[in-house]
Amino acid sequence: MRLRSVLAAACATVLVAAGCANESAPAEETASVLRYAAVGSPAATTDDPHGRVANEADYLRFAMLYDVLTVPDEHGEIQPRLAESWEPVDGDLTRWRIDLRDDAVFSDGSPVTADDVLFSLRRIQNKGAENNGRLSMFDLDSSQATGEHELELVTARPYAEVGAALAALTFVVPEGSDDLTEPAVGSGPFVLGDGDDTTAVLERNDDWWGPAPGVERLEIIAMADPAARAAAVTSGQADVAGSVSPTVADEHADADGLQVVHRAAAVNYPLVMDLDSEPFDDPDVREAVKLALDREQLVETVFLGHGQVGADIVSPADPSAPDTAPVDRDVERARALLADAGHGDGLSLTLHTTNSYPGMEETAVLAAGQLAEAGIDVQVEVGPPDTYWAEVWNVESFYLNSLGGSAFVDFARMALVSDGPVNETGWNNEEWDADFTAALATADAAERHDRLADLQRRVADEGGYVVWGTGDGLDLAADTVTGLPTGPGFHRLFIDQVGVDG
Amino acid sequence: MPTTAKAAAPFPSSGGGGPVRAAVPVARTGLLLVAVSIAVFTATDVLPGDAASVRATPGATQEQVAELRAQLGLDRPAWRRYADWAGGLLTGDAGTSLVNGRPVADAVAQRGAATTALVGGALLVAAPLMLLLGWWAGAARRTRGVVTAVLTGAAAIPTAVVASGLAALLSGALGLLPAVSLLAPGVSPLRSPELLVLPVLSAALPTALFGAGLLSGAVADTLRRPHVADARRRGRPAWAVACVDVLPFLLAPFARVVAISAGGLIAATTVVETLFGYPGLGSLLVSAVAARDVPVVQAIAMLAALVVLAGLLAADLVAAAVSPRRTGPLGEAR
Repeated sequence: MRLRSVLAAACATVLVAAGCANESAPAEETASVLRYAAVGSPAATTDDPHGRVANEADYLRFAMLYDVLTVPDEHGEIQPRLAESWEPVDGDLTRWRIDLRDDAVFSDGSPVTADDVLFSLRRIQNKGAENNGRLSMFDLDSSQATGEHELELVTARPYAEVGAALAALTFVVPEGSDDLTEPAVGSGPFVLGDGDDTTAVLERNDDWWGPAPGVERLEIIAMADPAARAAAVTSGQADVAGSVSPTVADEHADADGLQVVHRAAAVNYPLVMDLDSEPFDDPDVREAVKLALDREQLVETVFLGHGQVGADIVSPADPSAPDTAPVDRDVERARALLADAGHGDGLSLTLHTTNSYPGMEETAVLAAGQLAEAGIDVQVEVGPPDTYWAEVWNVESFYLNSLGGSAFVDFARMALVSDGPVNETGWNNEEWDADFTAALATADAAERHDRLADLQRRVADEGGYVVWGTGDGLDLAADTVTGLPTGPGFHRLFIDQVGVDG
Repeated sequence: MPTTAKAAAPFPSSGGGGPVRAAVPVARTGLLLVAVSIAVFTATDVLPGDAASVRATPGATQEQVAELRAQLGLDRPAWRRYADWAGGLLTGDAGTSLVNGRPVADAVAQRGAATTALVGGALLVAAPLMLLLGWWAGAARRTRGVVTAVLTGAAAIPTAVVASGLAALLSGALGLLPAVSLLAPGVSPLRSPELLVLPVLSAALPTALFGAGLLSGAVADTLRRPHVADARRRGRPAWAVACVDVLPFLLAPFARVVAISAGGLIAATTVVETLFGYPGLGSLLVSAVAARDVPVVQAIAMLAALVVLAGLLAADLVAAAVSPRRTGPLGEAR
C-alpha cells in the first residue's frame, strides 16, 4: 500500500507541475524575432572574439555584437564597415591610413576611437597562436592612432590586400578590455540580452550607425548535431538552420514553408599529395591523379549535385581566382603518364580520410574506385576524427583535407609560401614566393588580381592539391526569412539585414 | 499456524544500533568517492591532446603552444594538479573552463536544472514501470526465462536507436511532439513539459527494461517463499498477498535497482540530450570532451559519481531500515 500512495503522490506532483506550467505560459510575443540554429558545441562557447573560436554560433554572435573594420560582400569584394577607407600613405604599400566612421558608439555611450581599434588589433595579434596568426602581416608596434578616428597601420612587407586583412574578423572592443571571459560592450547592430552557453539572445541596437537590422531580436542557438539543427527548423523551433547536409536539403527542397539557401563554394575536400614524398615528387604522377578522377561523378555523389566541378584552384570563390577550363577525365593519358613515370605495372597508394565532415569518407572511397581504373591501386584508410588532424593531416603523404571558402592570399600565407606554417604539400618554390610577394606589392587592383590568378594557376598545374569540386554551403530556412547571406567566406556571418516576414 | 505467525511478526530491522550500522556504508561511500576522483583525474589526464594543443591553431609554433600550456597551468606535474583540483572540489571550487575561462560551477549550475528535470522525470516513469515489468517477469512461471531474456535483449537496444525511433514515431509520423527540445535561456523545462516527453521516454524505457530484468529474480525468489504460498493457501486475496506478503520484501532490492538505474539514466543523458538538442549536463559533457575542456569533464564526471554513490548509499540505508527480516535470500545477499 505504501508503494501505491507513493505512486499516487508522484502522479499528483507531475500533474500539478504540468498544470502550473500551463498557467504561467509566457505572454504572447509581439517583437520580430529571428531564431538561428548555428553550428556550435555549447561547451566550446566563448566570449573572447580574438582567441580560439571553435563555434560558428560564437562568430555569428560576435559579428552582430561588435563592429568589424571591413566586410566581404556577396561576391567576395571588400566593403567598408567601421573603416570608411583604407589608403596607402606611401608608394611601397607598407604604411596605410585608415579612416574610421565618427558616428560609431559602444552600447555604454562612449565613442569608438582609433585607440579602441588599435587596442583590438594588437590583442588579436597577441593571440596569434589561437587564431592562425590572423593579423601577422601587420607591424602593430609601429602602427599608431593619428587622430580620434584615424590611424596608420604599418605592414611588415608591402601588402596591397590590407582591406581584405581587416575583413578577417577584426572585432573592435573598448580599449583596456584585456579579460574577455565576460562579454565586453560592443558597437554592432545588436546588444547582448539574455543568454546561456547554448542560446544567446540579442536585442536590436537602435543606436547603431548602420541600416536598421531586419529584426528586433536575434536568438542564436548553438547545436552540434546537423540533423537536430534541421529538425529545429522543420518543427518550427528555429527559423534558420546553418550548414545542413545535401541529403537534408534535398529532402526539404520542395517542402511547403521551407527554403534552401545556397552559398557557393563553401567547402571542398581536396586530395592532398606531398611533393616531398614518393611517388608524388614526380609531376607526371600528380598529373595522372588529377586526370584519372571523374569529377562530375564526385560532385554528384558527395554533394548530391549541390556544387561545382573544380579545376584544382584552391580558393575558387576568391575575387582573384582565374577562369580555368574544367579538368576533363582522361584515363588513357593518366595511364600513359604513369608509364612514363615508371609505374606502368601499376601503383599502390594509401589514401587517408576521416568522417569529420559529411562526405569525406565517400569522397575517398569513390576516388579510390576511379583511380583504380587508371591503374592506381588505392587503399582507403579511415581515421577517427579525434586524431585525424593531429596524426594524418600535414603528416601523411596522401590524404583528404577539408577547406572552407578562405581567401586565396590568406590560404597562400598559411599553406603555399615555402615557410608557411602549414605548407602541407611541400610547395617550396622560390620563384613562386617572390612572385607572391611582388603581387602583394602591386597597388593596381586589376594587375594584382592578374598576378594572383597566375599564381593560383601554377599551383593548380603543378601543385599537390586536387580540388575536384566545391560544395555549396546549404542553409535550411523558413520561407518567411529574407535576405540570408549567400556570399563566400565570412560574408555568411553578417545577418543583420536578415528579416522575418509575417 | 507457526509459519503465518512468523511471517506476520514485525521483525526488527537491524540488530545493532542504527547510527553504528549507518557509519559503515557512509565511510565506504566516502572511500569510493576518493577512488572515483583518482580514476576520473587519471582518465581525463590521458586523453590524447591537451587543451593547449587543441586551442592552438595549426600555424602556431612549439614555443607558442608551450606558452599557452603554461598559461593554462598544464605544465605542472600530475600529482600537483590532482591535489589542487581535489582540494578545490572540497571547498566547492571546480576550477575554470580551459576553453572560455569562466567558472565551471557556473556552467554546471546553468544546466543542472535541465538535467535534473530530465533524470527526475525519467525516474518517475522508469521506477513504476520496472516494478510492474519485473513483477510480471518474476511471476511468470514456465516462461520466466523467455520473458527475462526478452527484457534484457530489449534493454540492450542502444538509447540512440530508441530515441530516434520514438522521435520518428511521435514527432515525425504522428506530429504530436517537437522533434528537438530547445529551451529558452533561463526558462525551466517544467514550463514546457512537451519538450521533456521525448527525452524522458528515450532515457526511461531502456532503463525500465534493464531494471525489470534485475528485479525479476528478486520477485521470483519472494514468490517462492513459504509464507507467500501459505497466505495463498489460506485464501488471502491476490492483491493483499502482493501488498502484504510480497512488496515489503521487494523494497530493498527495488531501492538498489533504482539507485543503479539513476546512474544509467545519467549516462543516457549524454546521448539523449545531444540528439534532441536539450541543454543539459549530458550534452555539455559530450562537447566538453570534444573540446578537451578537462575541468568541465572532471566536474560533470564527479557530479555523476556523487549522485550514483549517494543513491546507492540511500538505498543501503533504506534497505536497512525497511528490510522485514535479516534472513532469507535477500538478507543473505547483503
